[in-house]
Amino acid sequence: MDAPELERIPTEAGCELRLRGAWCIDQLPRVDHLLADLNVPHDREVRVDAAGLTRLDSAGVMLLVNRLRAQGVVWSAVRLEHFNPAQMALIHLVAERLDARPRPPRRRYRWRAFARHRGRALATRMLGQAAFLGRIAEALRDLARRPRLLRHRELVVQLQAVGLTALPIIMLMTFLIGVVFAFLLGVQVQKVGANIFVVDGIGLAVARELSPMLTAILIAGRSGAAFTAQIGAMKVTEEIDAISTLGLSPIQVLVLPRLFAIVLVLPLLTFVGDVMGILGGAVVAASQLDVTYHTFFERLKAVLPVGTVLFGLYKAPVFAAAIAFIACRNGFAVTRDARSVGAYTTATVVQSLVAVILINAAFAVLNPDIPR
Amino acid sequence: MNEAVLRAEGVRTRLGGEWLHRGVSFAVPRGQVVGLIGASGTGKSVLLRECIGLLRPDEGRVHLFGEDLWSLPLSRLNQVRRRFGVLFQEGALFSSLSVAENVAIPLREHTDLPARLRDELVAMKIRLVGLPMEAAHKRPSALSGGMKKRAALARALVMEPELLFLDEPTSGLDPISAREFDHLLRVLCDSLGLTALIATHDLDTLWGMVDRVIVLYGGQVVADGPVPEVAAGEHEWIRSYFAAHVKERG
Repeated sequence: MDAPELERIPTEAGCELRLRGAWCIDQLPRVDHLLADLNVPHDREVRVDAAGLTRLDSAGVMLLVNRLRAQGVVWSAVRLEHFNPAQMALIHLVAERLDARPRPPRRRYRWRAFARHRGRALATRMLGQAAFLGRIAEALRDLARRPRLLRHRELVVQLQAVGLTALPIIMLMTFLIGVVFAFLLGVQVQKVGANIFVVDGIGLAVARELSPMLTAILIAGRSGAAFTAQIGAMKVTEEIDAISTLGLSPIQVLVLPRLFAIVLVLPLLTFVGDVMGILGGAVVAASQLDVTYHTFFERLKAVLPVGTVLFGLYKAPVFAAAIAFIACRNGFAVTRDARSVGAYTTATVVQSLVAVILINAAFAVLNPDIPR
Repeated sequence: MNEAVLRAEGVRTRLGGEWLHRGVSFAVPRGQVVGLIGASGTGKSVLLRECIGLLRPDEGRVHLFGEDLWSLPLSRLNQVRRRFGVLFQEGALFSSLSVAENVAIPLREHTDLPARLRDELVAMKIRLVGLPMEAAHKRPSALSGGMKKRAALARALVMEPELLFLDEPTSGLDPISAREFDHLLRVLCDSLGLTALIATHDLDTLWGMVDRVIVLYGGQVVADGPVPEVAAGEHEWIRSYFAAHVKERG
């Protein structure tokens, strides 16, 4: 590639610029440098001669036009010589499109504007949450008046997706937590020779805290994320608009089956988790702590009141409603671009985990007594 | 000046257990604007993807600028890729970036131009495709269909390509915007000295702006020549394709 060159020759009428070499994008910094040092009288004739020019592209033309204009030269008065017809067409097009208007200033980063923008966004989001809650309440009212609106098939599909297919992972996780908890607790109680008290610890911890929390967290990550992604993808492909146009309520069709499914299923899964966690504890107690299965379950009957188990199960539907609400709300908030689905799915997981932990804390604070 | 910029030789493609292309051959000489037509499902887009190095044909060769595209090592392939631009059907603008940032991407990745020159070039390209400068800081989602296509065209043109591939450039545009876009393309191709291959369904594009048309039917090129000649041909599919339009024109 020939390096670009520029020669300035003063003439009696003004000056002549001789262009040589390749004036194109690969050589742009050099071309810019050549033109920067140029001094062209703006009130006299300017001639541009292209006899030695080997290549010219729109980037090169742009610099020539812009730099000459910056010196006050009127482009239409510039005489162009020895350009071939293709180059002339290119020059005319670029010069015509590049009018002399200044470019708009780049947007600056301003803290106040940023804070105002974020504040407004937060406010609209909170309003949106409230409105969505209102729409769900409305849909529930309609459903109460006309139970035939319930979509059985969607409900069954969701029951399977949220409940049945989650069963293995829930069983495995709670079992392992029971094993680990019993093992660590066992090491402590063994020191004082109070091996049998491992049963009290396991029963209380698994039924009241571990199983409800762990199940809710797993379902939030598994089904919450799925809800947002499914509804979000439908939003992107305009399926939700299609549902509305067909005279159906997207809340009835999409949200309520998911809400009911998760609210019904989470307590059941939590109970399965209770059983598996205690089973895990029993296995460790039998193998490590000389507490036989028979002794374990006899002791469990005595020390784990049904109230504790029920307390854990009461929490589950509340967790479930929070997860379904956050997940569906985020699904409907998805906009039609590629990042959106991913961003809102992430938001769902984070928000529903925070919600589950906050609700759990509220339950603990409001019911500090452990029934005996 | 008249060597073939793009040449396909006996391209055969097997897709889903069936032969989609049964030996497609054609050449595009420098400076020509060529239309590629065919019924839906005859593999126009697939052929285009094979020409730009996204999909490997099962047999046959694709030569770009005289180099066998599919025998090049990746580094050379990427060098060749810098010499052509592609306008995808939906524009394929990156939705997380503004129009100006979208147009600037090739410059950021492939050149070491200072930011000032880069901004100047981006502004020029945006004006060149007929977008107002106010559009530069908008996200693609805030643009109309026609503006998206123009923005995508600006990005395709920013590296000063010699060859342009366009996949259905006027689909989804209203007839007026479509004709404006055709006109813009023709002006740009003539002024920038571009060679272009346009896969299209739009008869007005064919009659209005292409120099030559290639017809794909049954996995083969069944006609290749200037539009009036091809339209007057004997092939049944071509006749029904052009029939409505020719009648309309009288």
